[in-house]
Amino acid sequence: MLQYVLRRLLVAVPMLLGAMSIVFFAMRILPGDPCVSMMGDQATREALADCTRNLGLQRPLAVQYADYLWRSARLDFGNSLRQGYPVSEYIARMFPHTLILVLSSAVVAALVGIPIGIVSALKRRSPLIDYPLRIIALLGLSMPVFWLGILLLIVFSLRLDLFPLIGGGDLEGALHMLRTGEAFVNPGDFLAAVGDVLHHLTLPALALGFTLAATISRLSRSAMLEVISQDYIRTARAKGQLERAVIYKHAFRNMMVPLLTIVGLFVAVALTGTVLTETVFTRPGLGKMLVDAIGARDYPLAQGAITVFTMTIIFVNLVVDMLYAVVDPRITYR
Amino acid sequence: MPSLLRSRFAFRSITVLALLLLVGLGVLAGPPAAFADKKKVLTIAAKEPDTLDPHTSTLGQSQAISRFLYRGLTRFAIKDGRVTTAEVEPDLAESWTLSPDGTVWTFKLRKGVQFHKGFGEMTAEDVKFSFERQINRTPGTRYGVNLEVIKSIEVVDPYTVQIVLKGFDAIFLLRMVGYQQGYIVSKKAVEKLGEQFKWNPVGTGPFYFERHTPRERVVLRAFDRFYGGRPSIDEVHWFDVPEDATKLIGLEKGTFDLLYPEAVTADFADQVKKMGAIIDRRGPGGQERFYIDMTKPPFDDIRVRRAFMHAIDRKAIKETMYPGDLARLASSCVPPGYFGHVPMTFPEYNPEKARKLLAEAGHPNGFTIKNYFISKSFFYPKVLTLAQEQLRKVGIIVELQVVEHATFHENIRKNLDPFVLYGGTRITDADPWLSLFFDSKEIPDPATGNKGSNFAHYRGMDDLLAAGRNERDQKKRAGIYAEAQKRLERDLVCLPISDVPNQWARNPKRVSAPFDPDYGEFSLHYGYNYPEMLKVLN
Repeated sequence: MLQYVLRRLLVAVPMLLGAMSIVFFAMRILPGDPCVSMMGDQATREALADCTRNLGLQRPLAVQYADYLWRSARLDFGNSLRQGYPVSEYIARMFPHTLILVLSSAVVAALVGIPIGIVSALKRRSPLIDYPLRIIALLGLSMPVFWLGILLLIVFSLRLDLFPLIGGGDLEGALHMLRTGEAFVNPGDFLAAVGDVLHHLTLPALALGFTLAATISRLSRSAMLEVISQDYIRTARAKGQLERAVIYKHAFRNMMVPLLTIVGLFVAVALTGTVLTETVFTRPGLGKMLVDAIGARDYPLAQGAITVFTMTIIFVNLVVDMLYAVVDPRITYR
Repeated sequence: MPSLLRSRFAFRSITVLALLLLVGLGVLAGPPAAFADKKKVLTIAAKEPDTLDPHTSTLGQSQAISRFLYRGLTRFAIKDGRVTTAEVEPDLAESWTLSPDGTVWTFKLRKGVQFHKGFGEMTAEDVKFSFERQINRTPGTRYGVNLEVIKSIEVVDPYTVQIVLKGFDAIFLLRMVGYQQGYIVSKKAVEKLGEQFKWNPVGTGPFYFERHTPRERVVLRAFDRFYGGRPSIDEVHWFDVPEDATKLIGLEKGTFDLLYPEAVTADFADQVKKMGAIIDRRGPGGQERFYIDMTKPPFDDIRVRRAFMHAIDRKAIKETMYPGDLARLASSCVPPGYFGHVPMTFPEYNPEKARKLLAEAGHPNGFTIKNYFISKSFFYPKVLTLAQEQLRKVGIIVELQVVEHATFHENIRKNLDPFVLYGGTRITDADPWLSLFFDSKEIPDPATGNKGSNFAHYRGMDDLLAAGRNERDQKKRAGIYAEAQKRLERDLVCLPISDVPNQWARNPKRVSAPFDPDYGEFSLHYGYNYPEMLKVLN
């Protein structure tokens, strides 16, 4: 097992390097330049030349690339071209916001999607249950997150005034208290900060979660359908097992393997979903930051963000592969 | 069986508990408690500035927030309860004199003006430093070009500064307005903080910088020692809200008092009106116009340029983009509010004439422009598709390539578009404006790397521009620029469409503004000239 993990981590290095190189060159192949984008229509000839020189963008591409790799190896992603903050510091501030959004929407998506999928698979011959559930799933699939998001904001934030309109809550405060141990000294303050974070998180998590739940429900429906047509299910039923036991004990556990694969894929989907969710709910976060960085041709910031995205996806997939062995004892890694 | 029941029960309980936790805790936490001490907080929804060093950003939101933090030697004059961009009055400078030869300005500074955060009194040293860092092109500064007229700056005493120019400069006092290059920063602070000054700004404005949470907000506080008196607003929260839809919801909900929208559409204006809010309109704003590259066939033939102008229905475009009072139909290639502006006449909308002219010029069936690049942002794609449709009617087919804004800027400087749609605001005088767009030195050329903005490739007014720069009689200057506009009328290289004011939405129940919402102030700051005069009402 350990050997397998090490091997996978080793393979991750060229993957990461590949992704970073693609981003580096793709950003520079994109027409447009950071100076022009920063100065817009006020860009004069001299100002543009100055700006390009100051940012070191006049150097040969190979030199810039080597410099970028060498710095990245030391975890130095440079400074944001636009705002001047160190990229690593910027990402460190944004990443927790995105992480909790992805995790909480995963919880929502799983809690909503998996039961719907299972029920709709089991009652597939009942038009009163399966059809409405599948329509709900279809709605979720075709409802863009920004539309659902605005809807939630209008109902729950503007009309009912239950949730805030913008922001990510006092996540930095909560994390700071956790790091310094203050959370245990002043649990009241800590809980207030956590409550504030959840208060800000609820609507975005629901919006992103519901749109993703649709995919999950459809995938778990087909996974369940496949499992219950297996021989061992028929055998279980034949030996007189209760239907509940058949489903929960035999079918559900065997459904876990394809479901885990979905979860692995889900992280990538959810990360891209954060872009729109963070924009609609005006939350700080990596997704929106990345899109803005690309629009502004803020090379270091975009490169840093994509590196972190890639690392996250590699890591999650590794964990998913590990979990296969846990849910299915037949799978072992050597 | 019992274990099965347990696991089912457990599964359900976890589901319900988790949902309750998420929704319940969120609701229970409730909105943050109201400020106990009744602080007067002004909340603004805008985009996040890229820096708070006023000399280093050209973005609208950065310039708008700069005006809260910084001031200059002069300011736009308040006359009869209105603010004008054509005249200036003293601000950090109390008075000034000009030498008889027109090259030496001596400014007497106001005494006792304090910088934020204990950086001491503003003196002549700070003035010298603020301009010299830009003239010397300190990395990141953007406006040095506007101060190139300066030969040297001398500190006579702490309250007197002498600025020697290379030659007479008719718009020098406009350059000294607290705006872009004109802002005075603390020398001590910049030298001490270096690169960090970007996010630790120190000026003499009515508000000082408190903190910045990236992608969330910038917080400013009232400056007790502001020389104009402490503002009545205690705190300004400048939120990073990129979406106009979110801004509107926030205005209605009361989360925001002021909105700095990306674009004011008819729909936006309607919604603002419906919720009982106000739109503050400020001239001169931006002008949207076409430049036609007179060197690029077939537009090198003036008949084709005339046909182009006959084909474009300016009024229809303006009314579609900005119905009613959302903008004004542009009347000149030098917008109103700029010194030297005179109304011009343009070929009227007449597709029949356009077709005839095209036939005369040897294009009886029109022609096709392939790979025409247009930005996907702001007004660009909308205006261009309207124009595309109008041009199609006379046989000019434009095949659009919609690209990122940055790519668009790059491509128009490579002369890839035979006519260029453009917008923008400058120092409010015909001299810098016309120099930027019609001086032959500004013709973009990828071969030499010239990224200027004379997209018309015009060479017909260099003599007037040179003469105007040396003229000290304001009346004669006005005459020179009137002549320049006549030449543009003759040569048909510029077709202005709409003069779009700078517009913010305001909740009048929360905030009162000092000037008439309908062009009561002219401003170049993408926002209010005098934010210290805003009042939070409850």
